[in-house]
Amino acid sequence: MADFLQGLAMVFNAQTLLVIVAAAVFGLFVGAIPGLTATMAVALLVPITFYMDATPAIAAIVATSAMAIFAGDIPGTYLNIPGTPASAAYVGESHRLAQQGRARETLGTNLICSVIGGLFGTLVLVFVSPTLAEVALNFSSFEYFWLALLGLSSSIFIAIGSRLKAFLSLTVGLLLSTVGLDMMSGAPRFTFGVPDLMAGINFIPVMIGMFALNEIMMFYGTKTEARRVPVKATDSVFSEAPRHLRKYWRNVLRGSSLGTLIGALPGAGADIAAWIAYALGKSRSRHKEKYGTGHIEGIVDASSANNSGISGAWVPALVFGIPGDTITAIVIGVLYMKGMNPGPTIFMEGGGQVYALFTVFFVANLIMLPIGYLAIRASKVFILTPRKMLMPVILSFCIVGAFAINNAITDIWIMLIIGLVAFVLARNDFPMAPAILGLVLGGTLENSFMSSMLKSNGNLLAFFERPISAGLGALVILIWLLPTLIRLIRRSRHQPSLEPSENRGPHDTP
Amino acid sequence: MRDFLLGLVFAIGGGVVIAVAQTYPTMPTLQFGPSLFPSLIGAGMVIGGLLLALTQIRQLKTAMADRRLPSSRYDVRGLLISLVPCALIVFYILASDVLGAPLCMAMAMIVLMLMRGARLWLALVVSIVVAALIYWLFSSYLLIPLPEGALFAQTSPVGITASPLRTLADAMEVAHG
Repeated sequence: MADFLQGLAMVFNAQTLLVIVAAAVFGLFVGAIPGLTATMAVALLVPITFYMDATPAIAAIVATSAMAIFAGDIPGTYLNIPGTPASAAYVGESHRLAQQGRARETLGTNLICSVIGGLFGTLVLVFVSPTLAEVALNFSSFEYFWLALLGLSSSIFIAIGSRLKAFLSLTVGLLLSTVGLDMMSGAPRFTFGVPDLMAGINFIPVMIGMFALNEIMMFYGTKTEARRVPVKATDSVFSEAPRHLRKYWRNVLRGSSLGTLIGALPGAGADIAAWIAYALGKSRSRHKEKYGTGHIEGIVDASSANNSGISGAWVPALVFGIPGDTITAIVIGVLYMKGMNPGPTIFMEGGGQVYALFTVFFVANLIMLPIGYLAIRASKVFILTPRKMLMPVILSFCIVGAFAINNAITDIWIMLIIGLVAFVLARNDFPMAPAILGLVLGGTLENSFMSSMLKSNGNLLAFFERPISAGLGALVILIWLLPTLIRLIRRSRHQPSLEPSENRGPHDTP
Repeated sequence: MRDFLLGLVFAIGGGVVIAVAQTYPTMPTLQFGPSLFPSLIGAGMVIGGLLLALTQIRQLKTAMADRRLPSSRYDVRGLLISLVPCALIVFYILASDVLGAPLCMAMAMIVLMLMRGARLWLALVVSIVVAALIYWLFSSYLLIPLPEGALFAQTSPVGITASPLRTLADAMEVAHG
């Protein structure tokens, strides 16, 4: 109880609350401006959170990402352009509603679904992760090896588009993770004599290059488009929402639980959660014919799913140190820098830290209601913010942010090179999430493998000798065989597959 | 076509990674050491890259058989423009020690804004204000030793001694080597 109160005190103080509000407004802006993603918002935020305590730093990340995912719906509804890829699944539908003069009603319902979805994911985080952590306490290097491999495998097999490209993207991330002194032998690898590379490549400049610089380059590579708001919105924000929620409460629950689950799967984030929830909602709907004509049902499913995915991704990140999406991949880097090493012990340590963490999720999701309401009323401001003025500012933030992590020019070079590589890869439809996962999990994978081998004197069968380890190993092998199995089943049924990749933008991050 | 080239790049890169990895020392107790993972990754890159290139060859062949050359007309201008931000980052890296971080950032921002057709006075005002804000936020509030520029450290009428923050920033710069 004392710990709980201490946790509350860590959140309900002027500094943390102010940080949450400021971060929510920041997330709102980034999310509502097409071309800027939630992951980019978090990557740009990290250099600033670097100088905060752990609780406000995490609060800032949670508030920013949750708000950005909702805010992506604003340009989606008014302009038919998703603000973040997580809104891409249902922009057509919500824009149709806006053309019927129901823009605010749509966004209001969206907002409430987002809040419920986020809170649902938070509840799962609060109730599931401590239990999982108790199991994880018994894990040794054998289990962690399989977990890391499981995370990497699912990031490939869940990727939308070419699995081969996802795999190649993963090798890039893994290769980056080997740079620096080898943990076991102390031999420097791929350092090219640069002293700054001895400690390895820092996540943050890589993230900034991959998700911010890459997007800036994309922006300048495309032609300018003038934007104006074609639809007027004068309807009420929340008055219709209770009716929709009463009618579609099952969709909210289904979308939230599906979103949490997909969010928790490594490599799949809010965007994939939204796509799958929308498709599932449509296939289960009694009014399939209304989809595409301005029907709010699918939006309820998908907008609950993308926000619950954001919370769900924290479960594996906190319990095992395996990120559920690209945002939590950044979070893991931040947690290490704050001395809060992700893993089961995070839940066992005394003090209010864990309670503070949980409270932050509730506060950050609830604060979306008032801020989101104001944002819906003032939508025009976000949509008409000219990107030609904004992108240069973001570039400056990229440079200074990359430098700020270690006060090293080397990090700016890393950001630049990674940004160039990511630009080439992303333009050729390589997904970015596997690369990030490879970078974050590469070290865990290699170190757990090497220490397991030292323990078992090089006996590979030792990976199947402990029960949980054997189970996880079987799961990994099952995932590898899954595509072949699915193909066999499909062939026997002769059913055309659903490919949602048609409408997707160039991003693959939420 | 581009996938074909990228596949080849991956395959060659993987080969180089394997070759470099062979130079790493092995562990005394095990038959593998720090070279194992880089070699595996390199092998993955070679196999994946070759597969990607090979699948493209089939497509290239069918395209050739159709007597229709693959439309490789590429938006070269767009590509060059998208490299401008990178060039500006290189400019910042090279020039910030002399010109100082705020000036370099402001110059980079003005270039980018004008490139996209912003009005001159607006671009000037916004980039100078933003550069000053970022510099202030990072160097005074977050205590990041952003380069203030050798040019200004000597000629500035304010001087080094006038500002305690500046001496602090200098001290940190020295500490960080």
